[in-house]
Amino acid sequence: MAKAASGRSRTGKHLPEIDLLPVMNLFCCIIPFLLFSATFLEVVVIEMAQTEGVSSAGAGATANLMRSEEDRLQPKIIMTQQEMFIGTVSGTVHVCYAQETVVDGETIITFPWDSLATDITEVYELLDEAYPQIDFHKITILTVEEMRYQNIIRAIDIAGEAGFDQPGLQVAPSTAVSSAMRGGN
Amino acid sequence: MSAPSKRKVPLLLGSGKSIALSRGGDKKVTLNLTSMIDMFTILLVFLLKSYSADGQIVTVSDQLVLPKARMEQRVELKLEIQVNNSVIVVDGDPVVSVTPDLLSSGNSIPELVVRLKDHLEYSRLTRGTLTEEETKINIQGDVDIPAILLQRVMASCSEAGYATQNLAVIKTETLEEGDV
Repeated sequence: MAKAASGRSRTGKHLPEIDLLPVMNLFCCIIPFLLFSATFLEVVVIEMAQTEGVSSAGAGATANLMRSEEDRLQPKIIMTQQEMFIGTVSGTVHVCYAQETVVDGETIITFPWDSLATDITEVYELLDEAYPQIDFHKITILTVEEMRYQNIIRAIDIAGEAGFDQPGLQVAPSTAVSSAMRGGN
Repeated sequence: MSAPSKRKVPLLLGSGKSIALSRGGDKKVTLNLTSMIDMFTILLVFLLKSYSADGQIVTVSDQLVLPKARMEQRVELKLEIQVNNSVIVVDGDPVVSVTPDLLSSGNSIPELVVRLKDHLEYSRLTRGTLTEEETKINIQGDVDIPAILLQRVMASCSEAGYATQNLAVIKTETLEEGDV
């Protein structure tokens, strides 16, 4: 095989063949190089806004957020081990209930994230419509101490997709979170 | 002892004359490379697409499973804190063991603050001054750590002078409900 293409066949019956061996040699060099240098898992970062300390007074932590109009209006995603809410200046809206999932024999808490995606997008659109002069980016994730890190990241991710791409984190005991929910934003 | 056979070694790969002599006599056996070229082409396109000229500047510990997110912000080389349910590691050195006591309150962690302040002071001494970029820190957290641990680590970073904390995640295009 792989006879050099001379332009005409010796017998005149066979078509000239392209010599694929140089191509193969090239591939054999390139592919191992690319395999060694390929990055299959790309690490990216989420830049967090300054974290708020744990407030034993619950809603007291929100007093720190009254720094600007955007700060005052910024929504909160409130996650407990039982349910999830979105808190705004207008009040607190229930988003969904937590659900238990078994992963590797361990029961973990997760949420139906589509509900959050729908509701947080709606909140963003409403805020954008009501306050066109403000460019909304900030959002606070208020959660209980036991909340799994994956859930926090997932909530941040969904909020970022909706337009709230400057997340902050508040962690508080369950009682304080309940108190914050009763007190609204 | 019998003399070595004078029979020719039949396979001459790469010579352009790949001829194998079968027992039956002279019979030309050609290797069809077309299908292999097809496969290599597909592999090459895939690898070129996933190729990153910048390389990976962050090393993720085997002890961690980073969460996935659809973020785009590229990671930069900063001081790394790795947090899992057993230990908090700063720049490769284990600093604090994660105990139930550690998870009982929400303030900064003194040992971690000291370690981070030392690092910041060292940077200040070696470079003379600190830019805003040098007060950023990357936190690699395991998917299973509780929020209180993350909050304590972040509070420690703030207290030590690292004003901006970046959470490292694995970039993904789509998030499935099963990604828990």
